[in-house]
Amino acid sequence: MSIATQQAASPPATGTVQKRSGFLSRIVAHRTDYLYVLPALIVMLVVIAYPIYYTIELSFFRTPPNLQMRDKVWTGIDNYVRVLSSPVFHEVTIQTIIWTLASTVISFLLGLGAALSLHREFVGRGLMRALLLIPYVISAVAASYVWKWLYHSDFGVIGAISVQLGITAEPINFLDNRQTVLASLIVVNIWKEFSFAMVMLMAGLQTVPDQLLRAAQVDGANTWNRFWHVTFPHLKGVSMVTVLLLMVANFNSFIIPFVMTGGGPADASHIWITHIYQLAFGRQQWGVASAYAVILFIVMMFLGYFYVKALTRGDEARA
Amino acid sequence: MAEVVLKDVMKNYGSLYAVNNVSFAVEHGEFVALVGPSGCGKTTTLNLIAGLIPMSGGDIVIGDRVVNDLDPKDRDIAMVFQNYALYPNKSVFKNLAFPLQMRKLPKAEIEAKVMAAAKVLDISHLLERRPRELSGGQQQRVALGRALVRDPAAFLMDEPLSNLDAKLRVAMRSELKRFHHNLNATVIYVTHDQLEAVTMADKMAVMHGGVLQQYDTPANVFGNPVNTFVASFVGSPAMSLIPLDVVSKGTEVALRSPEEGWELPLSPMNARKASASSNGKLVLGARHSTLKLHKSAAAGAAPGKVYTVEPTGDVTFAQIFVNGAVVNISLDPTVAIEPDEAVWIEFDQDRMHLFDGETTMALKAA
Amino acid sequence: MAAIETAQRPVVRKPIDWWRWAGRVFLTFLMLFTVLPMAWMILTSVKSQFAAMQYPPQWWPSEPTLNNYFKLLDPTNRIGREFLRYFWNSFYVSLLTTILGVVVAVPAAYAFSRFRFPGRTFLFFSVLVRNMFPAVVFLMPLFLLMRWMGLVNTHGSLILTYLTFGLPLSIWLLKGFYDNIPIQLEQAARIDGATRFQAFILIVMPLSSPGIIATSIFSFIGAWNEYVYAYTFLSRDDQMTLPVGIQRFFTEFATDWPGLMSATFLMSVPVVVLFLVLQKYFVRALTEGAVKH
Ligand SMILES: Nc1ncnc2c1ncn2[C@@H]1O[C@H](COP(=O)(O)OP(=O)(O)O)[C@@H](O)[C@H]1O
Ligand SMILES: [Mg+2]
Repeated sequence: MSIATQQAASPPATGTVQKRSGFLSRIVAHRTDYLYVLPALIVMLVVIAYPIYYTIELSFFRTPPNLQMRDKVWTGIDNYVRVLSSPVFHEVTIQTIIWTLASTVISFLLGLGAALSLHREFVGRGLMRALLLIPYVISAVAASYVWKWLYHSDFGVIGAISVQLGITAEPINFLDNRQTVLASLIVVNIWKEFSFAMVMLMAGLQTVPDQLLRAAQVDGANTWNRFWHVTFPHLKGVSMVTVLLLMVANFNSFIIPFVMTGGGPADASHIWITHIYQLAFGRQQWGVASAYAVILFIVMMFLGYFYVKALTRGDEARA
Repeated sequence: MAEVVLKDVMKNYGSLYAVNNVSFAVEHGEFVALVGPSGCGKTTTLNLIAGLIPMSGGDIVIGDRVVNDLDPKDRDIAMVFQNYALYPNKSVFKNLAFPLQMRKLPKAEIEAKVMAAAKVLDISHLLERRPRELSGGQQQRVALGRALVRDPAAFLMDEPLSNLDAKLRVAMRSELKRFHHNLNATVIYVTHDQLEAVTMADKMAVMHGGVLQQYDTPANVFGNPVNTFVASFVGSPAMSLIPLDVVSKGTEVALRSPEEGWELPLSPMNARKASASSNGKLVLGARHSTLKLHKSAAAGAAPGKVYTVEPTGDVTFAQIFVNGAVVNISLDPTVAIEPDEAVWIEFDQDRMHLFDGETTMALKAA
Repeated sequence: MAAIETAQRPVVRKPIDWWRWAGRVFLTFLMLFTVLPMAWMILTSVKSQFAAMQYPPQWWPSEPTLNNYFKLLDPTNRIGREFLRYFWNSFYVSLLTTILGVVVAVPAAYAFSRFRFPGRTFLFFSVLVRNMFPAVVFLMPLFLLMRWMGLVNTHGSLILTYLTFGLPLSIWLLKGFYDNIPIQLEQAARIDGATRFQAFILIVMPLSSPGIIATSIFSFIGAWNEYVYAYTFLSRDDQMTLPVGIQRFFTEFATDWPGLMSATFLMSVPVVVLFLVLQKYFVRALTEGAVKH
């Protein structure tokens, strides 16, 4: 056998075999890999990429009420000017912010409390978790009807209880009142989603090493200090993802306001999404609605940056 | 005839050359250990032989075929993985039967072969269990069994023992060696443990940074390391390496400590080697067992200072600073020395190694 | 041997853990907040229309009746026929969405997990970003697109839409499961004589079944509960799914609240049962990816 046995004697070859490979040739080399993603890609191209393009296009046109899009008229940035200068836009924006932030923060805090209380083993813990999760799995339409009935101005059980307990003199009209409607809807939203935060944080709590908690206990840390110095830092990553997911979901919610109040009374419970829907399918102003949607896009892109960052944390590091 | 041949095999990930121009040939029935520190490209080399990843260049021959473009299943090889890679949803029996099923053997033959392999490996009583119900050692045997049920041209093993505890590892080591002997199988065995390589292999291929450093019998690798890397990698405790200057006085050649000024005269043979060094600098290498310790200055001995003393029972190991380098030495347990004590180390002229100070390659007599 | 003596030393009583009590009180409050609305829904659903419309309300139904349920589940009357039809529509659309979704998502997720092809990162991000955008944004162009394809008022429009909007999450979830299957298993299979495809079908697929179950529950529940697209794309009575259809037959005159509550209850039964039976998978799917171990 005459193959050289002392490789090290010859200087190591570098880059002699592999030609400098361009992006294109790498794509060609991996062409079979793309077959796996192709079905998903095609569907998404049709149903996602095209609509995004079309929405942007429409936002520069005045659209006819009969939806014959051949007859649309180019108006430049008119639609954007109309949206941004409309007083309703400002009102709805503030409501959107209140809705999103209040729902997110309260849901997160309730979820955190629930996760911490449920972390310790006790009889019935699994059952409790399951029960708390039911609102999250049922349809928002179902939740809306249930709460609409609870809030009912004449026969609603919440109004009746508050009278029985002497909190108010007569049943409150929760939904037909500009002052209370948004808060009432936020309660429904929280009812539906806080257990999502709970499950996420419960999963996060399982990653807190027991040893660390014991070490802290031996070091004399009380319950609060153990939470603040050991548990909470471990929950940071999960908390961030949870808050972002809640925020995105709340920003995008539609069903609860739409089914319960339709945005009323007098636009007091409209958020961006329901308002866009109303402009498009109620008033047939598709151009204006599209401009609205594009603005929403841009805002979401900002959120999206953090969202993707939080979600893919560690994905690239994993070899 | 060689069973497995690698010729100028390359694998790069972008600018990282995981396997760089590696060539070696494994004869039929040979046990070859591919050894080197973690990340040196051993697994990559093995995966290239198996066909699990595409090569960037070179040729691989298995049996009498160039297999460059063949799928793993067509290369006629069996492989044992470091983490065993047992199919978790299949019973032990089905794990062992899988390679035979894939080759469409008749049911009765599959059963017979699985039973035979299970018997050899002493896992017949485990056949109905799932992998996760087995201990590490048992899983290891099943992984081995899955390779043994076939009669491949070569067995590839990627650190098969590294997940076992120390005692089991030693036991399995001799068992593996026995299997190799009984089957007269061709084995390419990856390990980062030089002791495993030295004890088990007919030949060892030492890799470093994707480059094959030396391919030879363990005795030759141990006795004639081609460079300081191989010298320090093979053997435990590691070979001591002391960087020194070459000084010539007429016909005499000596080594001089650049810091401490002492000189060490060289035998004529070593003198000829030393004169071949590129710029008067070389590295003196010596194994612990070739050194002699003196408590007072002696001819041909270099001064040093004791750093640590580690009695192990039948031998005592000591680390001694010589010219700023750490020198390992083995001593009779009766020798009493203290840390910080001044001692003199005598080198065996016939068993010392001289390496070029610049290229790190072993020096040859001109 | 000296006996170890403890009797003489003072016993220090374990202090009351106030945090623990606070936790219990808080949990009780949350349980009431969660359960009472659902309880009231069920209580109302077994009342007559007359009994429900009283002030102060009947806390406990004086004459409980299952009439509302009989009415909804009886195919011989109009309401029952329609309700069952909507129920079937919802089921059919959700099931088809789920099956197609898995078929498309499995290869894509596998590719994202295993291959490092150019554009992979970009593709993956675009998959994730899709999750961000609300349905309404896609509604207008999709409505026109469906009209152009002649899919308005068909279940095809819903299945196509749900499929697409479910995909990013499905791919993301499944990718997490594939990431956890060691690549060495496939390598072993290929050495044992399997082709790449066989290795995938015989080894990887069975191992990823928990992931596929989890993903399926998610798509099914998502499709079952979807409202916006169904509301916009469907106007024909016989095509409607439950969330859209349900409001139609109780709000035509005055709202029949007990009827609506029983319909709401029935609509929730399939997803709640699915959730309770496969809770483990559901929770895992929900938290997968966000919680790295
Ligand atoms: N898929 C890959 N992509 C990029 N680099 C890799 C890949 N696989 C291995 N490497 C790199 O190649 C080198 C050799 O790896 P490996 O063959 O696994 O080493 P070892 O000798 O420990 O088995 C390492 O530096 C490793 O980081
Ligand atoms: Mg390795």
